[in-house]
Amino acid sequence: MAEDLVLDTAIRDWVLIPLSVVMVLIGILRYFVSKLMRSSQVPDPKIVKEGQVIVRARNLRAGANFISPKSFRARRVYFCNEENGLLHVPKGQAQNAQAQMFSDPNMAMDMMKKNLSMIIPQTLTFAWVNFFFSGFVAAKIPFPLTQRFRSMLQNGIDLSTVDVSYVSSRSWYFLNLFGLRGLFSLILGEENATDDTQRMMQMSGFGFDPSKSLGAEKDSLDIIQHEWALPKFEQRAETVLKDLVG
Amino acid sequence: MVTKTEETQLNRLENQVDNGGGGAWEYLCLVKKLKVRRPDKVLRHGLSILNDPKKRSALGPDVWTLYEQVSIAAMDCQCLDVAKDCIKVLQKQFPESKRVGRLEGILLEAKGLWAEAEKAYSSLLEDNPLDPVLHKRRVAIAKAQGNFPTAIEWLNKYLETFMADHDAWRELAEIYVSLQMYKQAAFCYEELILSQPTVPLYHLAYADVLYTLGGVENILLAKKYYASAIDLTGGKNTKALFGICLCSSAIAQLTKGRNKEDKESPELQSLAAAALEKDYKQRAPAKLLLLTSALKSLKTS
Repeated sequence: MAEDLVLDTAIRDWVLIPLSVVMVLIGILRYFVSKLMRSSQVPDPKIVKEGQVIVRARNLRAGANFISPKSFRARRVYFCNEENGLLHVPKGQAQNAQAQMFSDPNMAMDMMKKNLSMIIPQTLTFAWVNFFFSGFVAAKIPFPLTQRFRSMLQNGIDLSTVDVSYVSSRSWYFLNLFGLRGLFSLILGEENATDDTQRMMQMSGFGFDPSKSLGAEKDSLDIIQHEWALPKFEQRAETVLKDLVG
Repeated sequence: MVTKTEETQLNRLENQVDNGGGGAWEYLCLVKKLKVRRPDKVLRHGLSILNDPKKRSALGPDVWTLYEQVSIAAMDCQCLDVAKDCIKVLQKQFPESKRVGRLEGILLEAKGLWAEAEKAYSSLLEDNPLDPVLHKRRVAIAKAQGNFPTAIEWLNKYLETFMADHDAWRELAEIYVSLQMYKQAAFCYEELILSQPTVPLYHLAYADVLYTLGGVENILLAKKYYASAIDLTGGKNTKALFGICLCSSAIAQLTKGRNKEDKESPELQSLAAAALEKDYKQRAPAKLLLLTSALKSLKTS
């Protein structure tokens, strides 16, 4: 059970390295293709304004204690007023916006393009790996693993007695998929379209941002208690000056 | 705002480049990143790179950004021919480009052809109504023509959309102060303090405006902001120290008849006066007599 399998160095030369090289090349290709296909996005004025409103409301919350109570209250009313406050989103509008987003042809096209450019190369590479490089042990993982990983890492190998540390090339593919991100940011500069993992996380957490965050800001502004910090400053100035003079 | 480390780095690079050492390209990149205004140096060092075809090709695609940077610096120094040449090169490379169109508009401004510049910006704004730089250039035209009401109107409209832009708030505050519309200026300074509460400059400016507005509450408020400016600068800001003395004497004068006394910080004025005297002794001993007599008159009045 615990015998050490000796893996042929030919595996290293003909499986591991070519697989990595191919993935790097495909990543570079995808980067250039995405650059070509990227249409310039015209920002929607409403969305820009909402973004800025949120930043300003956040600033108000953060610095509330530095301005006088009167000005703070005036600003709070300006933001949270029921009729025409900046942060107030009437209920009907909130629902609308989400439906509109999905039916908006431009945005849908954009999302589709981005998804395609990510999914197709992944699928193709995966199929290629499975076809050519299955059925043998490709590498040994340096640390021991439990039996539960067997199905995930050893799918081409049909021997159940082989140690789970010996994995097939499919796991090498996945390792490369997630690990080459760092390499890509080195060679391609900061913004590259190969950030699959980040994009996948973004896609799963897709909500409609603006109206929800406006509502959230409004609630937090309503809650805030204004504590006028300036009187304390006079005493602090006194202490500072005492140190300076005395 | 530029941090201390960035400032020292900039000065070091500047010295290095001025005295013939290499590093002109790093200096120009740093200037661009920090958005500081050094037109003469940028012009000199930028042109030295651009006029040398070997160095030009060494830059690769960054050479176009350098052209843009040098053309703006040239316009700042009124070397309009240099600017025109740079823009022509950019136009050949990028016809129909928004950025180059913007540069052309700025060139028209530099030449003083306000009407043409405004027309150019309006047509550019039709295509992309959300470009903040174009809006700001329009405000700059109005301000340069001395047409402050129009400048205020356009700046307000810009701020309705881009209300988190603190540079715009600052500009608006300064325009209001120059037009003596102090209440509006106070509002703008409040916005600035909200977005950056640790910058003593804004506290000081706000306190100045409040003191100018007058009235007991405003002067009390101004005194608090002068105190916060002192706290933020560690007591080294002379203007804030003077502000405290002036505020205290103004308050004493205004509340002479009433019994309402400001019990919050009775020693602040004397401490501020002492700090001022110490400062003057160190830095301008010739004016110390003037200072002491001025402070005495403040206390007695």
